[in-house]
Amino acid sequence: MTAQDAIRQRAKELLESGEVATFIGWEAGRFHNQTTPLVITDAADADKLVFNEYCVNTLAKYARDVVARGKVGLVVRGCDSRAIVRMIIDQVIKREDVYLIGVACPGMKDRKTDELLKKCAECRHGNPVECDELIGEAGEWPIPEGRFAEVAEIEAMAQPERSRYFESVYAKCIRCYACRDVCPCCTCRECFVDQRRENWVGKQNNVAENRFYGLTRVMHIGDRCIECGECERVCPMDLPLMKLNRKVIQDLNNLFGEFESSLSIDDSVEPLIAYDLNDREEFM
Amino acid sequence: MSVVENTQAAQIPENWEPKIIAFCCHWCTYTGADLAGLNRMNYPANVRVLRIPCSGRMNPQYVIEALNKGCDGVLVCGCHPGDCHYVTGNYYARRRMMIFKRLLEYEGLEPDRFQVRWISGAEAGKFRDTVMSVVEQVRALGPLNLTREIPQFELPPVPDDDGAFDAVPEEVTA
Amino acid sequence: MILAKQNLAPLLESMANGRDVFVPAVVDGVAKFARYGEGVEPAFDLVNTTMPPKDLLFPQTQKMYHYDVDANGSYRIYEYDESREQVVLGIRPCDMRSIVCLDEVFLTKGFVDEFYANAREKLLCVSIGCAQAAETCFCESMGIDPQLAPNADIMLQDCGDAFNVIAQTEKGEAEVARWESYLEQGEAQPVACDQSLKVSMDGVVDKLEGMYDHPIWENLSIKCLNCGTCTYVCPTCHCFDISQENRRKDGVRFRCWDSCMFSEYTAMAGGHNPRPEKLERVRNRFMHKLNFFERRYGMSLCVGCGRCVEKCPVALDITRLIDEIGATNA
Repeated sequence: MTAQDAIRQRAKELLESGEVATFIGWEAGRFHNQTTPLVITDAADADKLVFNEYCVNTLAKYARDVVARGKVGLVVRGCDSRAIVRMIIDQVIKREDVYLIGVACPGMKDRKTDELLKKCAECRHGNPVECDELIGEAGEWPIPEGRFAEVAEIEAMAQPERSRYFESVYAKCIRCYACRDVCPCCTCRECFVDQRRENWVGKQNNVAENRFYGLTRVMHIGDRCIECGECERVCPMDLPLMKLNRKVIQDLNNLFGEFESSLSIDDSVEPLIAYDLNDREEFM
Repeated sequence: MSVVENTQAAQIPENWEPKIIAFCCHWCTYTGADLAGLNRMNYPANVRVLRIPCSGRMNPQYVIEALNKGCDGVLVCGCHPGDCHYVTGNYYARRRMMIFKRLLEYEGLEPDRFQVRWISGAEAGKFRDTVMSVVEQVRALGPLNLTREIPQFELPPVPDDDGAFDAVPEEVTA
Repeated sequence: MILAKQNLAPLLESMANGRDVFVPAVVDGVAKFARYGEGVEPAFDLVNTTMPPKDLLFPQTQKMYHYDVDANGSYRIYEYDESREQVVLGIRPCDMRSIVCLDEVFLTKGFVDEFYANAREKLLCVSIGCAQAAETCFCESMGIDPQLAPNADIMLQDCGDAFNVIAQTEKGEAEVARWESYLEQGEAQPVACDQSLKVSMDGVVDKLEGMYDHPIWENLSIKCLNCGTCTYVCPTCHCFDISQENRRKDGVRFRCWDSCMFSEYTAMAGGHNPRPEKLERVRNRFMHKLNFFERRYGMSLCVGCGRCVEKCPVALDITRLIDEIGATNA
């Protein structure tokens, strides 16, 4: 039985038995090499579910939207499961609100180039870190080299060059906020950019305001980022957002010890919500 | 202290004065600045002091906004570790500011333009020395070279810029 | 008249002499209409740019006026008109159709937007027909011929190794007269453009009338992220917000693109939000594209350029929605 058949069968069983109220997976898109997220409440729709190498979307964030209807079943790979763990730690959902069907990730492909997605090539955890049941067996998922290679490239540039590089990045941003909306760490009830009355960030699109948004986004998710790479994938302008996220992660690692966010529900102390009396002192 | 990377010394306009904003903790540096005044210590007027309740209240967004809105450098001052009025605020600030400073430098800000210092209420001299050194470092760097606003948004220059932090003039509120 | 394809580059060169000519190009990794000049390599074989040409007429951020208070305390207002003569070369028929929609919004029914009107008047549109379609193109289904753009000043129909040059307005004729040295007599046969993506708009507009509370919106909106990607890459989306930036006694009032996908788009003073959830926002966007606009202006607000189909992070596909609406028995 393929993973897809197993997912369909389990989704049907879970929905029929009433164990879950909604089930989240992927369905085929218009094009043969495209999928799109699918939320079903009826067991009869379970046959629409697909699982193939074009399941590029991370599903976890939908759990927040449908959790009010009852327990949510969803298919989780490494990234989805870490996103769920993230949302549980952030108290967006509770562990008992979700039923997780784990599946080993084969690595997803870009629809256009048919090559492994950048986020999948960089992924460190293909297998779910948290699930209620696992379809098939956990796969081999070697941890790729060069987690901070992109960051090192930028750091090697001279200061004016770096400045120009990021100015060109911010000049391209159209502030569609897709990076925020897809991020499992961005779960504020009201984002600061939507707080028009406070007017944290101006609505005009220019380098200064875009930088304000970009830097704030990175600082807000900094120590919680699960490195799913969705922000970079969804960006319509193809901005290198992971270069910013990973810079923070790299510094956290260097300064406060090796750390990887959201690998289990219990280890929830992120470096920026903690302190150590013996932290390095740079500001004396 | 890092080496000052002066990338645009040639572009420093004549009579240009750096504008620096200092976010000072109410319980230490702000009092220290007060003491510096009481003791008639001289320090450059390029620094505008802004009081915050604790260095732990220092929102990274304040720094970006200050730079976007025309400051050439930002100084954040808080209590010495162990002396926080709220016991732990500056420990959190220390971590956050270490990360944020690196991030800003990664994006091309010269390291001297954003500095954090611990200055107690008794250290009027340290406050004066810090301000003087920050002003000199930023002066050496010249005006901030980040794009602040798109050119078409630039307003005509204000002849007398000293009142940038004035309260709203009466004729506007009336 | 015929323009051989190898003559396009020299022609562009001569047009750009003293004028701003915008051409499709990939700049810094983003395909958009960029001002021809150094570092801008025209890419006329790009089927569609990522960013639509609407910002030539309606920039993402547009300064409207600047105000200040003088020494006597009285207000002064300085208006801005930053419009200038512009040429856009290589705009596709779908994007030309989007300009018809924008013209309707900004210039008709007694409401004339001066900023738009000034820019529109000074824009010369040279459209290039499509000989090939992208996977996501479906303009034919929206009633557009990929080799015809009736509202373009000049239409260049792609005929393989040459273009058929058709001047369609007075402005266009005057321009073509200047092209003489690059043109040859004759007429060529436009290459047929083969579109694989087809949808049927039959009855969709009427069906939507009764579908305001249909469960289709619930199913559709649930996957939407509520980002603004579709509205910002859409050539016809035209919502804007007016805001200002103040400094002491000066200020600038400007308008910038807004997106009906954002929660604060409909937020009102006092806190009420008539479109509080994704469901209402997604429904509004698609109803506007396929029904509201049709009712008010008699045309669809979707031109079938396929940008949103291509760029939507969750593949929320307007063509599938049109199919689904067609399949319902409303």
